[in-house]
Amino acid sequence: MSTSGIIFSNLSDTTLSRLTSDRTVAAIPFGCRYRLVDFALSNMVNSDITDISIVANYNYRSLTEHIGSGKDWDLARRDGGIKTISPYQCAHSADAPMYSHRLEAILSMSEHIFGMKSDVVVLSDCDNILNIDLNAVISVHRANGADLTVVTAPCTPSYSAKLPQMMLKTNEDGKVIDIVKSTHQTASHPERSLNIFVVDTVYLQQIIEIAKAHNYRSMTDDILMKDTESSNFYSYCYRGFVAPVGTFIDYYESSIRIATDPDARLSLLGRRERPIYTRVHNSAPSLYKGKGKVTNSMIADDCVIMGEVENSILFRGVKVGRGAVVKNSILFGNCIIGENSSVNCIVADKSVTISDSCHLSGHDTLPFYVSKGKHV
Amino acid sequence: MYCKKECIAMLLAGGQGSRLYDLTKQTAKPAVSYGGKYRIIDFPLSNCINSGIDTVGVLTQYEPLALNDYIGNGAPWDLDRARGGLSVLPPYQNGRNADWYKGTANAIFQNINFIRKYDPDYVLILSGDHIYKMDYRKMLAYHKARGAACTVATITVPIEEASRFGICNTNPDGSIYEFEEKPAQPKNDQASMGIYIFNTSTLIDYLVLDEADPNSSKDFGKNVIPNLLRSGERLFAYPFSGYWKDVGTISSLWEANMDLLSDSPELHLSDKSLRIYSKNTARPPQFIGAGAEIRNSMISEGCIIHGTVENSVLSGGVEIARGAYVSNSVILSDVKIESGAKVCFSIVDSDSVIGTGVSVGNEKGDRSDITVVAKGSCLTLSQNNENGGSTK
Repeated sequence: MSTSGIIFSNLSDTTLSRLTSDRTVAAIPFGCRYRLVDFALSNMVNSDITDISIVANYNYRSLTEHIGSGKDWDLARRDGGIKTISPYQCAHSADAPMYSHRLEAILSMSEHIFGMKSDVVVLSDCDNILNIDLNAVISVHRANGADLTVVTAPCTPSYSAKLPQMMLKTNEDGKVIDIVKSTHQTASHPERSLNIFVVDTVYLQQIIEIAKAHNYRSMTDDILMKDTESSNFYSYCYRGFVAPVGTFIDYYESSIRIATDPDARLSLLGRRERPIYTRVHNSAPSLYKGKGKVTNSMIADDCVIMGEVENSILFRGVKVGRGAVVKNSILFGNCIIGENSSVNCIVADKSVTISDSCHLSGHDTLPFYVSKGKHV
Repeated sequence: MYCKKECIAMLLAGGQGSRLYDLTKQTAKPAVSYGGKYRIIDFPLSNCINSGIDTVGVLTQYEPLALNDYIGNGAPWDLDRARGGLSVLPPYQNGRNADWYKGTANAIFQNINFIRKYDPDYVLILSGDHIYKMDYRKMLAYHKARGAACTVATITVPIEEASRFGICNTNPDGSIYEFEEKPAQPKNDQASMGIYIFNTSTLIDYLVLDEADPNSSKDFGKNVIPNLLRSGERLFAYPFSGYWKDVGTISSLWEANMDLLSDSPELHLSDKSLRIYSKNTARPPQFIGAGAEIRNSMISEGCIIHGTVENSVLSGGVEIARGAYVSNSVILSDVKIESGAKVCFSIVDSDSVIGTGVSVGNEKGDRSDITVVAKGSCLTLSQNNENGGSTK
């Protein structure tokens, strides 16, 4: 009775293109001091899953640097622990295509999956940020005798996704009857997939055999949406706070929301029994100097704030100069906002410098992105 | 297995720090909090790893629970090593007797076998009582260049305070001709920092000698250093300049925290060249609410601020409610300050609750009038300042 975890780090790379020009989705900074992968990893570690593989196929330098030995997640273990599975070309299949789908990634690591000692595997993407007790999902999965359980969130009728997602129709027992791809919920399909799956290891091995035999490439199209009703799939509806980060605007809105909405912040980051772990940087605490005024904001360590900050997220080492105003913005590590400058609705990637008396503004429906290291 | 090291450090961390009163009731002095996220022992341990010293014996005795828990296997300082690394050295029983550490020299004497295991050429003796950043490599180079048997790090102190320290009287070449422990009439202002580098053989010889002397108080400053001088060994003073603070009293601990808030602090915690490492807890980032006012303060991870904070240093997980007021204070981890409460010129130890409307400390206080709230105190209006709060 043990569980392994597999985290897919690249699946939303194209929809988050600006933030992934030199990093994988899993390594995108989020919430002052975290990276997206921290949430998937911490959920697993907090549910006693300590044998975890991260599948990365490109741009994974910052991810492997972030993970290191896994020590910060208590995953530097003799047995299990964490490993990054990056693509390699075998002698006999040098022309094998680079995978872009979840199922292709699974196929690429089939040897690992056939060697697993655990009886259940949790598969997780990095495009929905939540703090979930996976043990509860696994118990329900086992109680249902399911082959596969999809973690879902209920959608309100007004829900509108930026991209089509898997929408599920279930019966009263939670068994999945039908799955469609849509940007909106319907009365018949009220739950959206959070792209976290609990799968019996044996069933996952069967999926690999079937996929190889039929040359299937997509988990969604070829496995989940095919003969759904006759399959043994269940849903687990998670009712806590979920921050979607699958697109740039989702990422921006979710970030600002955890800065300004205390309930969302507590649900995600404030759970003492399930802390979110991340790489430790040994930065000094932050300093508030001069006439600075900070409201409704989340601030990481090693910041020096001398200006005004409102509804914003400041990562490690950000400096806000005298008379500067930062509103509705996300400033990645080591950004410098010069004296008497103002920024509004921007996402500044790492080490951006905004010169003195410079004014920059996006709109909350169209936040302005400043790429890494830029001097404005 | 033979594992040779050029220099190992022995860190004396057994001190009670009795002049810190309630702050060291359940904690050894080296584990006392400072600067938001640090403990005093982070400074010598970080200095060691920043100086390339990867083998450190930490000698514990007084209330070691919090300290042991904090230092663990040394991983936060990169001292969890296959060869060397950090070892906690408590007093122990052996075939002949069982002894507490009776003084700084006796503590090292009882661990001579630990030193021998690494066959070091030099032993660096440190204490866990001071806040400073120092590259011990420079001191070791100085020690070697002068062919010294022992080198004592010294710092210039105000002459009126010199009688609180061990004072080194030196010749123009830096050699020490006299060492006076807490002299009534100090001859100069060069105080020992309690940091020594010994040639290992010299150290062991004199520790054995000192141990055999029934009249010795088994102390480096009082006995061992004067003995070396009497025997004509080459002792040198290594003058250190930079920030150095003994945080042995409530007022000096408070002041050391306030030093971090000055416009040009002498100690740069965010300077990455000699970085100070500490054990990190997985706390969320700090959150500053809509009604918060923060002026000239240092705030750590996990804090939730809705009230007013000025000229204060807050450790991790502190919650300041709307309408609460904190000024000129040091608030340690996980303290809750409820609405309408007022905290001035105080050090509030961890896990305490300052209830609604409670006022702690003197609004017009100063460094000599600091209120201490003991760990885990719960102050409410009905028992305002009755217990838990002890004043110094």
